[in-house]
Amino acid sequence: MIVLVKQDWTADKLMQDAEGGGKKRGRAAGGWIDDIAAQKKVITLCPLCTNKFNPARVHYRKEKEFPVCQAKCDGCSTFDSHCSWYIYDELYTQVRSTADERRALAKSRAARIKRGYL
Amino acid sequence: MKYAYNLSSSTPIIKKYKASAALAEGIVVIKSAAGASGQMSTSTTTSIANALGLVVDNGLSLAAGGPITYSTTQGADEAVFGVIVNPDQVLRAQMVTGATGTSITQDTIVTASSNGLTFVGGTSVASPDMDEGIVWYTSGANVGKSRKITSTGATVTGTVIVPFAANAVGDTYLYAGVNIGLQGVTLTTDLKNVRADIAVSTGATFSIIDLELNGSADSFIHLTLGGNAWLQVQS
Repeated sequence: MIVLVKQDWTADKLMQDAEGGGKKRGRAAGGWIDDIAAQKKVITLCPLCTNKFNPARVHYRKEKEFPVCQAKCDGCSTFDSHCSWYIYDELYTQVRSTADERRALAKSRAARIKRGYL
Repeated sequence: MKYAYNLSSSTPIIKKYKASAALAEGIVVIKSAAGASGQMSTSTTTSIANALGLVVDNGLSLAAGGPITYSTTQGADEAVFGVIVNPDQVLRAQMVTGATGTSITQDTIVTASSNGLTFVGGTSVASPDMDEGIVWYTSGANVGKSRKITSTGATVTGTVIVPFAANAVGDTYLYAGVNIGLQGVTLTTDLKNVRADIAVSTGATFSIIDLELNGSADSFIHLTLGGNAWLQVQS
């Protein structure tokens, strides 16, 4: 006899199923993160792991406008709602629009309007 | 296209998904089709159906030294990239003209309008139709001011209901086929910028939440993901 158990797919389960595998079993976390950094991928680290990572050494930039993100920690493979996230410096301006950037543009706009040409 | 903020002021949620093909950072990715190798595929210039979110990296192969691409070679780097998946994320993109994304075409007033209810320039606002889009001045008495376009009856003439100050021959202005609350924009071929020269409500199901109306090379649009996979019934 075959018992068929229907899987109840929720949006949460779909997201969880689609996630990448993360660190291989038995692999040291530092080595794994160095590998990710060498590949210039985004790095997410939980509060316990984030202090062990030096972003400047590998040309990464810590996201400060959103000090936390919800992600699986690349160090300990635990989903944490208070992760820090790091983006490779050269990619940062291509994927993030910051308030500072928009503020500078708004100031420039006001100055140009004063000059009479936008 | 850049991640700017969330409608709910919540924190970003970052997932790492497997790619079905080469991807660039700063583009919207969609759910892979049935039978595809990975979990996410690239969107197109006119469709983001089943969007998963915005890719924030594209990886660099340790072996090849170039971007990681989808590979079926045993032992090759797996193409797993970070994606911001918030359904309410707001993306900021530059408004441009043309498929490859040059500055928005600036037009010049050729017939003055004393009542400020029309703008008459040298290029057509009727085809592609800019009705319900937006017009803003970049010089003259109305510099920095914008209005919704409410009619484009004559080819080179657009009409507004809330009058501008009287314009003069030689004043310059810009217009775009986008406006607040409208759904549908067409992207450039690199999927990073929004075309302002396409008729209103044409293309991918982004919804427009804000506009930054500056010069021809630095005007931006804020978008939400209308075709999000997390908010709709899967097909």
